[in-house]
Amino acid sequence: MNQLWKRLAGITLAGIMTASLAGCGGGSQASAGEDGAVKVGLLHSLTGSMAISETSVRDAEVLAIEEINAAGGVNGCQISYVEEDGASNPSTFATKAEKLIEEDEVATVFGCWTSSSRKAVKSVFEDYGNLLWYPVQYEGMETSENIVYMGAAPNQQIVPAIQYLVDQGYKKFFLLGSDYVFPRTANMIINAQLKAAGCEVVGEEYADMEQTEFSAIISKIEASGCDVIVNTLNGTGNVSFFKQMAEKNYTSEDYMTMSFSIAEEEVKTIGADILKGHMVSWNYYQTTEGEKNDAFVSAYKEKFGEDRVTSDPAEAAYDAVYMWAAACEKAGSFEVEDVLAALDGMSIDAPEGTITFDADNNHIYKPVRVGEIQEDGLIYTVYETNEAVKPDPYLTTYDWAVAADLQPLE
Amino acid sequence: MNFIKKHGQNVCFAVIVLVLALMPLLLTAGVIKSTMVIFLGKCICFAIVAIGLDLIWGYTGILSLGHGLFFALGAYGMGMYLKLQATNGNITDFMKTGGLTELPRIWQAFEPLPMALVLLVLIPALLAGIIGFFIFRNRVKGVYFSIISQALTWAAYSIFIAMSPYTNGNVGITEIDPIVGSIRGAKHIGNLYLLFYAALAIMILIYAVAYFLVKSKFGRLLIAIRDGENRTYFSGYCVSDYKNFIYVLSAIIAAIAGALFVNFNGSITPSQMTISYSITMIIWVAVGGRGTLIGAVIGAFVINLCEYNLSSGAFVDIWQYIIGAIFCITILFFKGGIVGIVTEQLPALLHRRKENS
Amino acid sequence: MDQVLSMLFNGLSSSSIILLTSLGLAITFGLMRVINMAHGEFLMIGAYTTYCVQNFFKAYLPNVFDLYYFAAIAAAFAITFAFGCVLEKLVISRLYGREIDSLLATWGISLILQQAARSIFGSQGVFVTSPSFLSGGITLGGNTYSFNRLFILLVVAFCLLLVWFIQYQSNFGRQMRAVMQNRPMAQCMGINSRRVDCITFGIGSGLAGIAGCSVALLGSIDSTIGQSYIVNSFMAVVLGGVGKLLGTVFGSGIIGFFSILFENFTSSSIAKAIVLLIVIIFLQKKPQGLFVVRSRSLDE
Repeated sequence: MNQLWKRLAGITLAGIMTASLAGCGGGSQASAGEDGAVKVGLLHSLTGSMAISETSVRDAEVLAIEEINAAGGVNGCQISYVEEDGASNPSTFATKAEKLIEEDEVATVFGCWTSSSRKAVKSVFEDYGNLLWYPVQYEGMETSENIVYMGAAPNQQIVPAIQYLVDQGYKKFFLLGSDYVFPRTANMIINAQLKAAGCEVVGEEYADMEQTEFSAIISKIEASGCDVIVNTLNGTGNVSFFKQMAEKNYTSEDYMTMSFSIAEEEVKTIGADILKGHMVSWNYYQTTEGEKNDAFVSAYKEKFGEDRVTSDPAEAAYDAVYMWAAACEKAGSFEVEDVLAALDGMSIDAPEGTITFDADNNHIYKPVRVGEIQEDGLIYTVYETNEAVKPDPYLTTYDWAVAADLQPLE
Repeated sequence: MNFIKKHGQNVCFAVIVLVLALMPLLLTAGVIKSTMVIFLGKCICFAIVAIGLDLIWGYTGILSLGHGLFFALGAYGMGMYLKLQATNGNITDFMKTGGLTELPRIWQAFEPLPMALVLLVLIPALLAGIIGFFIFRNRVKGVYFSIISQALTWAAYSIFIAMSPYTNGNVGITEIDPIVGSIRGAKHIGNLYLLFYAALAIMILIYAVAYFLVKSKFGRLLIAIRDGENRTYFSGYCVSDYKNFIYVLSAIIAAIAGALFVNFNGSITPSQMTISYSITMIIWVAVGGRGTLIGAVIGAFVINLCEYNLSSGAFVDIWQYIIGAIFCITILFFKGGIVGIVTEQLPALLHRRKENS
Repeated sequence: MDQVLSMLFNGLSSSSIILLTSLGLAITFGLMRVINMAHGEFLMIGAYTTYCVQNFFKAYLPNVFDLYYFAAIAAAFAITFAFGCVLEKLVISRLYGREIDSLLATWGISLILQQAARSIFGSQGVFVTSPSFLSGGITLGGNTYSFNRLFILLVVAFCLLLVWFIQYQSNFGRQMRAVMQNRPMAQCMGINSRRVDCITFGIGSGLAGIAGCSVALLGSIDSTIGQSYIVNSFMAVVLGGVGKLLGTVFGSGIIGFFSILFENFTSSSIAKAIVLLIVIIFLQKKPQGLFVVRSRSLDE
């Protein structure tokens, strides 16, 4: 009797295995353009440490898709989206990107936030010839045929902001960032730029990603005698850092900061009373003027709640969907090559102003805005470029950058 | 009958191997997509780690919360070798960004293939050997070992992040072409088959080694250590040496799995060496069934396949609840995991029902 | 001089936070031998409770808003105490004597609790406003000592006193120690050991709640907040010697002060790694920790 059960056991186990394997193969036949629907993928971290940031981007993408569908869709097709969770783990991003492209046969993917997740999926998109829309400002030094970089390249965010600080007469800079690729590359650029401008970097510190204790770093800032802090900390680090600065009664008058990762969302979590007077640099704020933006802000608040705020990455993600839809309309197709061909020189009216695709490097011409955080938790522009700035991810048009040999190898 | 009783687990393993071996055929027939094969390739790597973990946890009773570290070390070694092939031995761009002008000594060693292969096994083995030597000699055991291994992993993770000119910090090594050449896309399907069958062969080999190990006298000694460490001491065995050996072996197995994994995955990041990832590996073994090699293999496949299919769309939120609940319930009520349910609890239940009626 | 003082204060403050997060562990791990990986999530529950209480006061009792923090401490303790008791009844009580399994099962619980937090509060972080009497700091000499941190020091001292009182001065504490030292004998003396287990675990969890309430003042609150404290807390307990309150105090102090000290010379990641490695090496010398509970039994 016993033996029989043992045998049954073996068979059952084998059955489970086969079933679970077979279950994964089927179920994804619909391809782009058929039966009046086109599938796109959304690939963000909905769990894990990056979920804090990526949810707003994902929400903006869903909003844009729903708006386009309500207006009749693209090429007569309704957009349906497949959502995958990257779980804040770059390897999971790579696996899920493969799954979206091959099994779900999506026409394109909107996704990623961190540079590590983008770099992990880059070769996947290149190998399969699909297209990723990346919505966040980043450190530059990269181009890919299969990625559209909707966020700012360094010369559309970091370089103008530092130039603005130099023009304002700041001389001693303290560079503070989280320990990952964006702050490190940004600080490398800033160091070169400041050297050329004759300013001094009096300190450079990297905090751990999960760091909650900033007292030692604040002591180092005090000792450095800097007059401005260039801050590239990521989300949670910012909260702890600014709260602990406030504990010591420091305001923007004692230590001015220029931040590259604080948008309206983060202002909400840190508290406007603490951040009042500090500066940030982005391409878009909720307060940016224009009809397009009014419509975007009110639609966003209506869908996700009055207390939600729009931010630069969310706006870029929203634009990404519209730009893709416009390119598909122009091309009359959902194929990646056709879409890329149609994108060449294409402009759309976005909440941040008119943005234009640059076929040289798959980035976007964007206006640059330096903003100041005010008591109501919103950011108001204090300086803005006259026209959209041409993206230059490798900083080849800046003499100091060329002199400092910042370009990567390849 | 007797044959099945004695070899049921091996039969089951053979079935799994057979099903896996058929996958490329199904791909050619167009039933499944190539990404499924790539994913199953990653699952094979996970199954290999699970076998190693089962050796130390299921058989010897040492719970390591830091096997992600060894997995990642193997993967980084292999990743760096492949990266250096692509750059012809010059420095990579992340090193340049980090301010290095020439290839660091430590990575130079990874340029020739034989050297790289030796090192990617040797470094984790040495590390595990040193850690194990001190910890086991001092008779740190049970949860103390788990907590220390967890802290060590955390420390190693911090160091990897901080040494970003050498390791590229959080981003890790990306855009790696597998050792057989690109495996993605229709053109490279042959490469994919080659890599997949190679991984399968390595899994079979490691299963076989582990199987003979646990069936030998040595294996019974491991179980003796698990069930009564002091008694084993008093019987005249040097427990710490045995423990250390099995710890080093499982670290080597994890490193081999990591080196394979990086071929399928195309990138390796420090998130593979976090504590939570290491505990995820423990979940595979626990759910599959600790103390049986086949359990580890089944657990790795079942959990990962479920996760692959369930952590998307509407299931994203629910998945975390499911995995948490499954894990918790397994530990509380089904100590033997899936294998335990099928071989012990289910027959017992049916037997009882039959007696009642 | 100012710098030394500032460093000492930073070290003291950092140690106090570690101590606060590990006090609960010192009870659940040290006394009950339960490895509660969900301890960090209890801390998270405490932090979210603070957030909820704050919102409640904002909405209904705006004129006594500053008092919300005291209500929050009480609420955080009460809620995590209740959670702890439920967890003990449902899960932990089945796992006594199976230390490793208790570690794994509570890890499953922690996954569930983290996802629950995301489902309820969203994945974006939330924050609490410090009550007005705690915002800012006092400047003495060249240094500013923040009220938040001074207050946390007070809370730690209070909790420590409370734990000491419960453990060594109260009747319940005597029962508790009796059960932990020799369960069958204690049962024979008529102690309801199940009730003692439940309440002891509740107290340990409640302390995590208070810790959560305190760390809420220092940073943002999100579902992963507990994870950043858990490793240091475990190490503090192990370093101090399991089962000794004084050991945990010293363990936290050593980890806190050394972290701050090394951070002055190097980056925080490296400092963290160095401290952990030093602790691990020290534990090779004294595997039982700083303060050893002497025992003649072979398997603890």
